[in-house]
Amino acid sequence: MTLTFSLAHLMGGILLLCGFLLLSQRRLAAMITLYQVQAFTLAAAAFWQGYAQSEVNLYLTGLITLALKAVLLPLGLREIVRRFNLTRAVETAMPMALSMLLGVGLIGIAVLVVLPTTMNAVSLTREDLAIALSVVLLGLLVMTSRRSALAQIIGFLSTENGLVLAAIGMPGMPFVAEFSVAMLVLLAFLVVGVFLLRIREHFDTLDVTGIEDIERRGR
Amino acid sequence: MIYVPVFLPFLAALVLGLVGSPVGGAIANAGLSFVVFLLTLVVFTAPGSGLIHADGLGLLFGVLTGFIALTTALANIGYVRGAQARLATPLWRLYHALCQVVLGATLLGLYADNIGLLWVAVEGATIAATLAVSLPRTASALEAAWKYFILGGVGIGLALFGTMLVYLAAQPALGPGLAAMSFAALSAHAGAMDGSLLTLAFVFILFGYGTKAALVPLHGWLPDAYAEGPAPLTTALSGPMLNLALIAILRFRHLMQVNVSSGGTAMPPGPFLLTLGLASIILTGFSLSRRRDARRFFGFSSIEHSGIAAFAFGIGGAAAIFGGLLHMLLQTLVKSGLFIALIRAAGLRGSTAPGHYGFSHLRGMIHSNKYTAWLLGGSIFALSGLPPSGLFASEFIIISQTVQRHPWVTAPLGLGLLLCAVAMLRNVAPLVFGPAPPHTKAVKAAPEMHLVALHLVLAVGLAFAMPRPLFALLSTVAGALK
Repeated sequence: MTLTFSLAHLMGGILLLCGFLLLSQRRLAAMITLYQVQAFTLAAAAFWQGYAQSEVNLYLTGLITLALKAVLLPLGLREIVRRFNLTRAVETAMPMALSMLLGVGLIGIAVLVVLPTTMNAVSLTREDLAIALSVVLLGLLVMTSRRSALAQIIGFLSTENGLVLAAIGMPGMPFVAEFSVAMLVLLAFLVVGVFLLRIREHFDTLDVTGIEDIERRGR
Repeated sequence: MIYVPVFLPFLAALVLGLVGSPVGGAIANAGLSFVVFLLTLVVFTAPGSGLIHADGLGLLFGVLTGFIALTTALANIGYVRGAQARLATPLWRLYHALCQVVLGATLLGLYADNIGLLWVAVEGATIAATLAVSLPRTASALEAAWKYFILGGVGIGLALFGTMLVYLAAQPALGPGLAAMSFAALSAHAGAMDGSLLTLAFVFILFGYGTKAALVPLHGWLPDAYAEGPAPLTTALSGPMLNLALIAILRFRHLMQVNVSSGGTAMPPGPFLLTLGLASIILTGFSLSRRRDARRFFGFSSIEHSGIAAFAFGIGGAAAIFGGLLHMLLQTLVKSGLFIALIRAAGLRGSTAPGHYGFSHLRGMIHSNKYTAWLLGGSIFALSGLPPSGLFASEFIIISQTVQRHPWVTAPLGLGLLLCAVAMLRNVAPLVFGPAPPHTKAVKAAPEMHLVALHLVLAVGLAFAMPRPLFALLSTVAGALK
């Protein structure tokens, strides 16, 4: 039991650390790498929970996470960065230090909200949930503090990792694999969406009549 | 049996997405919607069991969804005929497939007796709706779709977290497994659920599904999505989706209320809902008068009506919930009819593309076609909630319940409703009787205008001469959810 605890906490901690470091990165390539590390850790956490709870469902979740989120999605994101030459630093909406301070505050809120309300739950679930909520909130903060669409997506991906972490920690929860697949569909659409947006901007075939329309008729 | 209306649209979407001409697709879409509408009536006799198991609320709004999908699909045939050249054939195929996906996902969410399945349904409907908004491929449409995607995605993420917390809160009562995710089992054991965890869950649910229901301050995506997407799908068919999100909130509110009244530690859900509802009504009241684009204008009006429903659920008690559900029912009928009329009106003035819905562009509709003008004016008047509109009945119930239960919020509610009604009425006269733009010619009315008339008659009839079985069903549903 103690090994279950310490390993699960270690992996939760790495996830949280990656989520926090995302706030401090200005370059897309570094953000993608951090996301990838996070996804690998999440896959490991899913396998470990599957072993601890002896649930086949969780092994499946781990496999999906490993194949799609840790390998395929980062490949796609890197391809977008390479093809559209997005290697320069991303514009941020607020100073780095401020966003990191806010991040610390959010982690504090998550812990203060989750730990007292879950007194009756199993202790492993409680702490996993506090970490998961922190990762979710940090991901949302990344989304609000970046201006580029791709950086917002990486924030969203990190949020989603937090959600899956919460799901695998729930005792005997059905549909965990199905949830992660459903989420992945959304993520895939997001990545493809940003790819298409970029194509339009890059090749300058943007249909500007729409913008003129909006300006003419007002919002 | 109940699986057929839910999964037939998804199967149909595969076919519609791959073959067919634009107009052929529109006709097939209408035929399929007709079949699904009939099936939503048939499921009253066989509500199913297990994961997909419709209760009274699901059945009632299932029929409404089927009906709106049918009338929208019928009106859509005329829309596609006129707009055929604007999109390539593959995009029209995708458009009709998305119509079916939205229909199927909404029905799945209404009939699901499982909090996870409900979430999947809302997610599916959101993805389909965002794709639909992006279809015109203009810069403004892509921007609107991106906004919808990001906001909707965050909402969906929060709702999933809330769903998992509800499952965790049900552990002391129901233990691990599927039972802890079934609405029927949850509401039977809500008293034994972990109250404080349930409160935390409800906050996430409210902000998650509240994004989909477009409650202020989570409403940012809706006016853009209404204004930029292909009109029938993103406006007329969007009412049932808003209803689905509101019904999800209502169901979770019920769990919390049961927990509170049976001595659990949950916080009462009323204040959360009252705050968001009131904020939606009042903000809309102020922003309606500044809109110049009709689709954006009526998008804001949808935010108002979501707010009224959330407000009614916040008041609580069987009568207020009855009023809220009746309001959703009637509002959806009127609003969908209104959008069908509006698309037709824009068609009479040359084009149904986004950007041709400015009030200045549509004014003096009576010089183009009398029937269309009267129906358009009648629908807008009906939305204002003045008698003889059906919405008068539902708003009257909600206000009288507010006076009885929470008198101190009556004044802001009245102010908000008044502001919205004034903004609505101000537009009726110029839009119907005002001077028409130069070179306006009188044209024949389109057959789909009879559908709008049907919507209006239904909305008045259901409110003031409600059939006895419907009254009984609605009362039972509201009584069970109080």
